[in-house]
Amino acid sequence: MTILRSLTKILSIFLFITLSTSIGNQVNAQDGKALFSQNCASCHAVNKKLTGPALAGVEDRWPEKKNLYAWIKNSAAFLKTGDAYANNLYNEYNKTAMNSFPSLSDADIDAILAYIKTVPAPGAAPAGGAAGAAAPAEDDSDSTLVFGILTLILAVVSLILLQVNSNLKKLSDDKSGIPAVEPVPFYRNKAYIAFIAIILFIAGGYMTTVGAMNLGRSKDYQPEQPIYYSHKVHAGVNQINCQYCHIGTYQGKQATLPSVNVCMNCHMAINEYKGEPLVRENGDVVDGTAEIKKLYKYAGYTEGQPWDASKAQPIEWVRIHNLPDHVYFNHAQHVNAGQVACQECHGEIQKMGEVKQQNDLSMGWCVNCHRQTKVQFKDNGFYSIYEKFHADIKSGKIDSTKGITVEKIGGTECQKCHY
Amino acid sequence: MNKFLAITFLTAVVVLTSCSDVKRKPGSIYMPDMAYSRAYESYDDHSKLKEKGIHYDARPVAGTIARGKEMPFPYAQDAAGDTTNYTLSKTVPNPIDSLSVVDAKEAERLYLINCGICHGAKLDGNGPLYKDGNGPYAAKPAALVGDAKYENMPDGQMFYSVAYGKNLMGSYASQLSKRQRWMVIKYIKNKQAVAKASK
Repeated sequence: MTILRSLTKILSIFLFITLSTSIGNQVNAQDGKALFSQNCASCHAVNKKLTGPALAGVEDRWPEKKNLYAWIKNSAAFLKTGDAYANNLYNEYNKTAMNSFPSLSDADIDAILAYIKTVPAPGAAPAGGAAGAAAPAEDDSDSTLVFGILTLILAVVSLILLQVNSNLKKLSDDKSGIPAVEPVPFYRNKAYIAFIAIILFIAGGYMTTVGAMNLGRSKDYQPEQPIYYSHKVHAGVNQINCQYCHIGTYQGKQATLPSVNVCMNCHMAINEYKGEPLVRENGDVVDGTAEIKKLYKYAGYTEGQPWDASKAQPIEWVRIHNLPDHVYFNHAQHVNAGQVACQECHGEIQKMGEVKQQNDLSMGWCVNCHRQTKVQFKDNGFYSIYEKFHADIKSGKIDSTKGITVEKIGGTECQKCHY
Repeated sequence: MNKFLAITFLTAVVVLTSCSDVKRKPGSIYMPDMAYSRAYESYDDHSKLKEKGIHYDARPVAGTIARGKEMPFPYAQDAAGDTTNYTLSKTVPNPIDSLSVVDAKEAERLYLINCGICHGAKLDGNGPLYKDGNGPYAAKPAALVGDAKYENMPDGQMFYSVAYGKNLMGSYASQLSKRQRWMVIKYIKNKQAVAKASK
């Protein structure tokens, strides 16, 4: 009996100890995650080199744990002890000094190390999302081809029927003894010739007119760019403001293209693409990571080494939106003073994988918008000089709900854009 | 004859319609001398200007400052492994004492465009690119509000980081003018003061 009691006692104590230590470990790892993200995450990731080394397996790499504690608490002081491992590490990472963390206790560091161990290696965790999202939407390609072929077949059939009809007529004429008239081949038949001539005239006229109107316009122009840069990923998914890269829209005539250093602001750290599959217009799948490597080539950047911006070569993007030289257009006037959103002219850029010219940028299109668009008069310093209009709005002479269109302040005068 | 005509017509139609509707070439130009500028415009090919005897350099003459612009930052970028100038930059005061209402609005706009993407609209270091580690950006951006290190960081040192970059953050000198940089820093400092006061 007493043996049994003592046994249960021992067992329960054993159970208690194992339970409490396992719970303790969990708490450790959770605390560690918070501590890691507070103190370490701006320079270290678990599985990826950033400013500092990847931390997975850090305990195994350091010869002694005691040294690791000392290093984390004050790296500069520890370097002075002449420790070989620490000094090699310092030189390997271009002598970037690690911040000292005197406030971290040994227990805190243990908690961080415990957390690091709980993070799975990148290959181990199955990435579930990739396969499911892959199926590209098969858009039933336009039916013009089908209809064209159908029309052609019908036309051929009707021609054959006409021919058959004339043959039958000839046969019946032969039977009833009416002397056969020399048959006229269809290409000398006046009715046929007149019909075809009219069709050609209409079709030719239509094509000439459309072609002439489209001269100098490039609606739907969608060139292939040196790097597959997706506005959908950058401006859509990742919500980067247009003006982060196109700085000039607010300040000057040109929207300006970002120089390579603007790309590298983020791509120093983002060296792989893990989002939804990228697809070109013709259906080719694009390897996003390979496109980022193309950027590195332009930038003259080798991963893991400091980047020398002076080695960068400009990326020669293909210009899509272009106005003829005899038209003046200024981005700042529209974006800054006029407060027009980018999408109003460029379409839903944030949904475009490859950018396409949405509007034809014709004069009619410009003038139409100037006639319809109301000027943002309210609280807009740029228009404060239009005192008469402001007075008229106040006195009710101008219906404030209708507002003042761009046309009213001279937006359709020739000299506004052509001079 | 009849058959031959029909077949050529059919193939012509098939060839024409089967062309991709992705337009990889721009349209044709009517009167190219009016469409293309005779003068050199932005984004023209500027690589062969010297060969044509055109000597043009858009950069300001060394040692000059445009009228009404800020003085240059007194400290250059440190060499790798050196932090002398980074430390010295603490002493540089912010030339902007306070932001007017208009300037504050502009500073907020600039912050949200250029900084918010990583450091977060709430300055908590959790912008859409980081998203608690779920975004594409692997490194945690600095929490400008809520981290004593950045709350106590002098304006000048912040300017150093914005102008030259620090660790994984790149230089924003090409995107923000000197005045704009100081404005954004003032905006951050104001936000930090508000957060501290409400604690």
